Amino acid sequence: MAEPEAASAIMMDHLVTLTYVEDLPPNTVRFAEGLVDGRIIGEKCPVCARVIVPPKGYCSLDMVLMDSSHELEVSDHGTVTGFTIVAPVKYYGQTKTEPFVYASVLLDGASGTLGGQEIKGLPADKVRDGMRVKAIWKAPAERTTDGQSARGWGSVSGAIDGFESSGEPDVPKDHYKDHII
Amino acid sequence: MAATDIAIVGWAQTPSVERSTRTEPQLCMEANLAAIAKAGIDRHDIGFTCAGSCDYLTGGPFAFVANLDAAGAWPPIAESHVEMDGAWALYEAWVRIQHGDIDLALVFGSGKSSPSNPLELYPQQLDPYYLEPLGLDPLSIGAIQARALLDAGKATEADFAAAAARSLRDAMSNPNAQASGDHDPADLLKADYVCAPLRAHDVAPVSDGAAAIILATADRARALTDSPVFIRGIDHRIEVHQPGMRDLTSSPSTTAAAKKAGLNGSQIDVAELCALFTSQEVILRDALGLGASTTINPSGGPLGANPVMATGLVRIIEAAQRVADGTAGRALAHVTNGQGLQHNLVCILEGDR
Repeated sequence: MAEPEAASAIMMDHLVTLTYVEDLPPNTVRFAEGLVDGRIIGEKCPVCARVIVPPKGYCSLDMVLMDSSHELEVSDHGTVTGFTIVAPVKYYGQTKTEPFVYASVLLDGASGTLGGQEIKGLPADKVRDGMRVKAIWKAPAERTTDGQSARGWGSVSGAIDGFESSGEPDVPKDHYKDHII
Repeated sequence: MAATDIAIVGWAQTPSVERSTRTEPQLCMEANLAAIAKAGIDRHDIGFTCAGSCDYLTGGPFAFVANLDAAGAWPPIAESHVEMDGAWALYEAWVRIQHGDIDLALVFGSGKSSPSNPLELYPQQLDPYYLEPLGLDPLSIGAIQARALLDAGKATEADFAAAAARSLRDAMSNPNAQASGDHDPADLLKADYVCAPLRAHDVAPVSDGAAAIILATADRARALTDSPVFIRGIDHRIEVHQPGMRDLTSSPSTTAAAKKAGLNGSQIDVAELCALFTSQEVILRDALGLGASTTINPSGGPLGANPVMATGLVRIIEAAQRVADGTAGRALAHVTNGQGLQHNLVCILEGDR
């Protein structure tokens, strides 16, 4: 019996687009408004006293819901607790061509770090843990609520263009050893 | 081996709303805290936590991980997740407690559908070759099922309207309902079709919301409350994915699950059925053999509140509530998953004896 001829495969593109329209929760609305106003708002847990930035409307460690009565302002100065030097490879959407630094920054008054913050104003190999930094605020007219979402863990990118050296002396590791990430 | 008796000792649900501005973890935490408080337990005593949700609804990759923020996961906990209605999370927790080494479990289900477009989203869960490219959405499948039921002579559009009128009237006394109202079935039948032969009143609304249940072993349950609600039987059965390969006018998987759960013709005072369309109520009554002595969906059922991924867990809560308050001696909760009653769970509840 003759072998059947191999049928040529029929290929079909099938692209899927899903559209989502979401409202920001009240705590994120206030956080976003604060950023546009040049302030960074956190929530202080009434049980553990940790200050959570960006605020989530609750403390997940103590299982406590929080509201505007738990909000306070934290500093725009902080400490680098860990960082990665990224040597960009070309992939779809990558706009960077030169090495850059993504750092975790522990803001003064906050109990957790902001992740993925770009450290600017000095060569990548000069960035170090314990280094003191300050936020590079966008001009007031350029600040937006971009990056805010009802999903995920929040962002400051609509108002802050990364961090730069504040000129303060480095702090000892004991200050940030619980926040190295 | 006989299953260990397990009871429901706490429960809570958020109000079902068309569009919540709160995040899904915030909704979950409200429900979880209230269920823990109602059970009167310390959350640190919970031995296992299981959640049911669907990332596609809220549009957040790994949204179910963020929902763990609401589970009290510090110090670290033992937990699991099902991409299914929270009722299947309850089933997993029920199995987990059977191991015998823990005596309390937290189960929650949640859905925030409002950011997405269900008619666009749901076809994605169908097979990618034949059904998904058609854009076959749940409303259309529900209408095909209702049409098959009418064509088979098993129901009339007046039957559908009667079920809607009863459900929406009952939902008026449900503080968590999204839709309710006092309607004359004859007036309902004057409305235009939204997807023939279904009218708006035949279709469950889509709600945002969350629900939670605390399960306990029998000993722990009796120590916690004078009115534990025991799960006398629970089972789930599934049919083929392709709706065209099934008789859509019947639900043999519901019948099989009910038999395994121990229904066997016994009296059921209250049945909470996960009928997402009035036509499905007709099919489920028949599949479960429920007659006039059973009160169907006294909460208003999914036609009143449909927090997708928690709608089934809410059925168990509403049934448990009727047993706990003495309205029902024996209650049945039905839960469905998939398209056109593809996958069904039946749970039979009783008070202590």
